[in-house]
Amino acid sequence: MAGTFTVAQKELRDQFGSKRFMILFGLVLLLSSLAAYQGVDFIRDNENAGFVYIFSGTQMSFSFIQTMVYFGPLLGLALGFDAINKERANGTLSILLGQPIFRDSVINGKFLAGAAALTTLVVGTVGIMSGLAIPMLGFGPTMTEASKIVVLTLLTIVYLVFWMCLGILYSVLTKRTSTSIMASIATWLTFAIVISILASVVSGFLVPLPGGSIRIRVQEGQGGPGGFQISEEYMAAMQKRSALMTTIQKLSPTNLYQEAASDILGVFRGLMGGRGFQEFQRTLTLTEALAANWANIAAIVVGLVICFAGSYMMFLRSEIRPGE
Amino acid sequence: MTEHVIETMMLTKKYGDLTAVDQLNMTIDEGEIFGFLGPNGAGKTTTILMLMGLSVPTSGTALVAGYDIVEQSREIRKVASILPEYSSVYGDLTAYENLDYVGRLNDLTKDERKEMIPEMLEIVGMSDWGDSKAESFSRGMKQRVVIAAALIKEPKVVFLDEPTLGLDPVGTREIRELILRLNKEQDLTVVLTSHILPEIQMTCSRVGIINKGRLVVTETIENLTRAMTGSEDRRVEFRLSEVPSGLIGDLESIEGVKSVTEENDRLYVYGSVDSDYEVSKTITGHGAVILLMRPREYTLEEIFMKYYEEG
Repeated sequence: MAGTFTVAQKELRDQFGSKRFMILFGLVLLLSSLAAYQGVDFIRDNENAGFVYIFSGTQMSFSFIQTMVYFGPLLGLALGFDAINKERANGTLSILLGQPIFRDSVINGKFLAGAAALTTLVVGTVGIMSGLAIPMLGFGPTMTEASKIVVLTLLTIVYLVFWMCLGILYSVLTKRTSTSIMASIATWLTFAIVISILASVVSGFLVPLPGGSIRIRVQEGQGGPGGFQISEEYMAAMQKRSALMTTIQKLSPTNLYQEAASDILGVFRGLMGGRGFQEFQRTLTLTEALAANWANIAAIVVGLVICFAGSYMMFLRSEIRPGE
Repeated sequence: MTEHVIETMMLTKKYGDLTAVDQLNMTIDEGEIFGFLGPNGAGKTTTILMLMGLSVPTSGTALVAGYDIVEQSREIRKVASILPEYSSVYGDLTAYENLDYVGRLNDLTKDERKEMIPEMLEIVGMSDWGDSKAESFSRGMKQRVVIAAALIKEPKVVFLDEPTLGLDPVGTREIRELILRLNKEQDLTVVLTSHILPEIQMTCSRVGIINKGRLVVTETIENLTRAMTGSEDRRVEFRLSEVPSGLIGDLESIEGVKSVTEENDRLYVYGSVDSDYEVSKTITGHGAVILLMRPREYTLEEIFMKYYEEG
């Protein structure tokens, strides 16, 4: 452990002092505060809506969870992508490793500092959102809701740390920060945008819609007011397509997080959450939510462990070549 | 017998098919300034990285200050410092903070750091810049901070890899003087690599020449020069008003003179010290005037080139 905390301390100071972190934190805070306002509005208008709507948002609004789905990868990757290769490029790595520390102290210290920075960011954001909402609503979360918020916070931290570890892995694998930043941006775009496009294209290709008219004429007096109705065959194909899309999107950690996070808050919307075609809403208890999403959560944790273990081993085995 | 601070035993490093360091055996004594010479890619830096435990040897090993470089590399880094080639400081930290970080990594207490850091800044002449961010520093100033960082642990051995690379003549001289002073005052063992041969000649007591990963020779500079000239002979450089025909032949027939060569407008006479009188007399006897006469020692460059060609 020699040196781990010294490295972590220095890295944490760097993170908090960096414009990069401040910009991202500011962006997340801005979006989350807006989401909190919208949540408050929604809760005021809907009597049975609980405090957690602050975080889950409403159908039409941007939520904390969505902020994390879209900006989470960027946040995590931004904190990790130049962890090692920046020191290599600047010529500080050989000085650092020339000190009486073990090599793993460097990567462990950087990991700890990044994780601490992300924890601060998430806890700070959740805290500020609650701090904004409670005075406006005049009431706070119940115990059940509070525990849900705590679990959501933890899940969000793990999810962001996963992205940071992927960034660290890029920084170990590449020699130059310009390469790892491109890899990070590509990853972010892939999981934030491309994956849903890809899912839609692939499912459209694999599940062709039935030919002919999608609408069938319904005779008056046959259980309806007459006019047109979407054919059942078409409905079946659409449902199949939607299920396939969901499966493909499940490959994305952003989606794993979104599902788990929405379920934990217990505000579950079928259409947005992507389970089935029809829209429905139900409330899950925390235990139910965790039971239903353990695989999602485990997948994120496993991803985190793989990325960190990979960077750890690659870094320990990497050679300090002349000129680093 | 002086203690060997560094002793390598069949030290070998391979990068794939390339053998960067090939069965290196050498010793460096305590308190020495050892110049490590070799063309680019000869394996100097790789050797130094291995001696600091930053790179693992493919086979063989070495002892630095009594510690094994593979098994006890962390112990080595407590007593040895490296100033790596192209190394730099953290630009977003001040000079003081950079040294503070290195001090912490060496487990120096708060009080020790408070005492040592200003002292180190003083030694490298950076006292006035302690609170400035390192990114605003010139190359030479950064290099001084790196040197201060290398000294803060009060090492027994320092490895300086091209310490004056990219520095101006004034900076180069200051660093040279600093190395000599530390060596003298603190009995610091210095291993120095440099491409600037006169610098090596001015600083080092002994040199090791390495080529293609193999050690060609380790010797003191005087002995190398002597070996080049052969026995006690030396070379005298002449510049004459003219070189009359027959002069060279007559000079060569003088007892003690081994050979005479003419290069550009200079005449080089190789021979024993005793022959100087006869040589001068013969030249003036031919009607030529001696404009310049001086003994010319071999420069390290000439020695260097000879061993490079051999290696």
